[in-house]
Amino acid sequence: MNHEAIKELLYKMADDQLILGHRNSEWTGFGPLLEEDIAFSSMAQDKIGHSLALYTILNDLGEQDPDTTAFTRTADQFHNTVFTELPNAEYDFSLIRHFLYDTAEALRFEMLGQSSFEPLAQLATKVRGELRYHTMHANIWVKQLGTATKESISRLQQSLEFALPYALGIFEPSPYESDLINDGIFEGEKALEEKWKKKVESLITQTQLQLPKWETITPHYGGRIGNHTEHLQPLLDEMSEVFNIDPTAEW
Amino acid sequence: MKSLDPRVNRLPQTGSANTTPKVPLDQFGTFQVFVQPKANKPFQHEGIVHAPNLEMAYVLAKEAFTRRFTCVSIYVAETRNIHVSVLTEGDDDAYDHVSEAAQEGKKASYEIFHMFKRGKQHQHVGTVEATNPNEALWLASKQLRTEKQVFNIWAIRTSDIRFTNQEDLDLWLTLPEKKFRDAAAYKGGEKLKTFLDASKK
Amino acid sequence: MYGGGNTFEGIKPDEHTGEDPIQLAEFEARIDRGEKIEPSDWMPKLYRKQLIRMIEQHAHSEIIGALPEGTWITRAPGFKRKMALMAKVQDEVGHGQLLYSAAETLGKSREEMIDDLINGRSKYSNIFNYPTFTWADCCFISWLVDAGAIVNQLANAKGSYGPYCRALDRICAEESFHLKYGHHCVIYLASGTQKQRDMFQEALNRWWPPMMHFFGPSDKISVHTEILMKWKVKMGSNDDMRNQFLDMYVPKIWELGFTIPDPNLKKDTETGRWMYTEPDWEEFKRVINGDGPCNKERLEVRRIAEERGRWVREALRTPKTAYLTPLA
Repeated sequence: MNHEAIKELLYKMADDQLILGHRNSEWTGFGPLLEEDIAFSSMAQDKIGHSLALYTILNDLGEQDPDTTAFTRTADQFHNTVFTELPNAEYDFSLIRHFLYDTAEALRFEMLGQSSFEPLAQLATKVRGELRYHTMHANIWVKQLGTATKESISRLQQSLEFALPYALGIFEPSPYESDLINDGIFEGEKALEEKWKKKVESLITQTQLQLPKWETITPHYGGRIGNHTEHLQPLLDEMSEVFNIDPTAEW
Repeated sequence: MKSLDPRVNRLPQTGSANTTPKVPLDQFGTFQVFVQPKANKPFQHEGIVHAPNLEMAYVLAKEAFTRRFTCVSIYVAETRNIHVSVLTEGDDDAYDHVSEAAQEGKKASYEIFHMFKRGKQHQHVGTVEATNPNEALWLASKQLRTEKQVFNIWAIRTSDIRFTNQEDLDLWLTLPEKKFRDAAAYKGGEKLKTFLDASKK
Repeated sequence: MYGGGNTFEGIKPDEHTGEDPIQLAEFEARIDRGEKIEPSDWMPKLYRKQLIRMIEQHAHSEIIGALPEGTWITRAPGFKRKMALMAKVQDEVGHGQLLYSAAETLGKSREEMIDDLINGRSKYSNIFNYPTFTWADCCFISWLVDAGAIVNQLANAKGSYGPYCRALDRICAEESFHLKYGHHCVIYLASGTQKQRDMFQEALNRWWPPMMHFFGPSDKISVHTEILMKWKVKMGSNDDMRNQFLDMYVPKIWELGFTIPDPNLKKDTETGRWMYTEPDWEEFKRVINGDGPCNKERLEVRRIAEERGRWVREALRTPKTAYLTPLA
């Protein structure tokens, strides 16, 4: 089995979950409705939990321990898609990102349920209920706000249009695509992207939102190879501020 | 605003310090939430959520009421769909105030809940087939009343409840593994002992 | 996390007169029998008013209390702390949700309560008006402010109003994690590097005075609340709560080798009461009335959150689900 290919897959998944979980946790205590504040925070915790599980698998493959991996790398060493590092902005963007990203994540884990790489297949089976909740939550919120008031529809529409190029960046082609497919580890980004587009279309058609034609959108790539926006390094500096007071200390 | 909280420093400055006064009660509906902590335990009332509809109430209730401890299933019902008996005290039983009700209309099933003690949650005790809520209470007094005193009875038409579907049962799959929300995961005893031993020297 | 203390203002002599004597007698007999009061019961106007006031302040204290610890939510060191702190701050919001619901059963809507909070018409626990300069301040709150709150909440859970008791039972169960987590953090700071120890000692120095304020003014100067004690709204005197807290936690702080910044703090072995320097009640009053280090920021943050969420809540309002007071 090609370990480099597996590591590339694990790193981008783990980094995505860490960075987006971190971003979403910023809403805790500032949410638009108490019940939603709670729900959104739980899903952020799930994401951090997923990233920890993935870094733990990496650790078993010889990478450094999860805390060191998460808290001491610099931006150019991160493989998350740029989509996840963008600031939260208003709730419309955070919600649309949650919908677009988690739809992809749920599908990815669903596909990985059959992976020949056992640890990933096990993790995928384990977290299916969490991801079911995330997509259930995202779908119902987008449906509600995407059909409610003029303001909510127009906010979601704008955020959707802004988010889509970044969302397509989730599926940035991997240099190991054929290795992963041939070894039965993962069906690949292309297959995931196609499934994802169908899911997104079917949900958006149940709202008053308009989905632009896919061919008009240019995907924002680069995150997977460490090319990030100016937003990632400050996020990492903030996240590791206490940790870096003394990285050898136990906190 | 310059804050110690970096999140606060990123907040947009919106509006003015004087918010426009709200219209009283400009909020949406309330929904009652029932939780089943274990497979062989009855559903129990746990509280309410604010939501615009039953489905969202279900989604919001899940994290508001079952992110901690144990849960295998939940359900929610809108407050207006809960039919309430009189509330009694002392040794007065709520069922003694339920009178025979006529059959009117089509039969439907109703879920029945008892409050066994003031201050405690209502618990699900069974289902009756009735044509209206008053008849449901009356039938409950015949079919579900036991020796145990009841202070208050609720009846909810089964079709007014958003139940957990078979395919939603996975939602609580990892709940027992979320140790980071559990006091038992924070045992500092060893560390403390080592520290105390070291500081004695 | 709530310490009571500033809950009750003086009761005007005529405020609990004019009630129907038969209903009042039945109501008091029910409380004397140890039966809880439920929302649909008859209750004296003063009982309803003071309960709304107390539960509402408690709820505000939870959502405002999420802010000082939230200050460190993006900076918690390592996975274990990061996930725990997220869950803990989330719980505070969750407790707010539970408590607003309990207060709603008495007839005041959540919107009205939050409106009163952000417009300064309602109070919350004084301690959250202090800043969290370092990670150790955050650990102090997680451990000791929560510990104080549990002392207060366990007492209140034996009160007379059913919905409040039910909410508190749940809250206390959830807070056992907070307390253990907080203590765990402090043990790690205590047994860590000199820098870590210093961090916590400095936090302790900063937080001790507000911690002493937390339980409210000394019984000698606080308003008379006999009627509220009789109705089991207020469940213990401020000094008793403070003493109970000191009894449980001062030894644990000393055990870790930290110095509590009060040279007069010691237990009178004969009376079993703790002796301490009288807290500065003038400062307490000043901060409660809006002039603390973070009052403005706390309310402003809450106001911004409300403003930003307004379009969301408006999009959730549908004619089909008009508001109804919750049942229990």
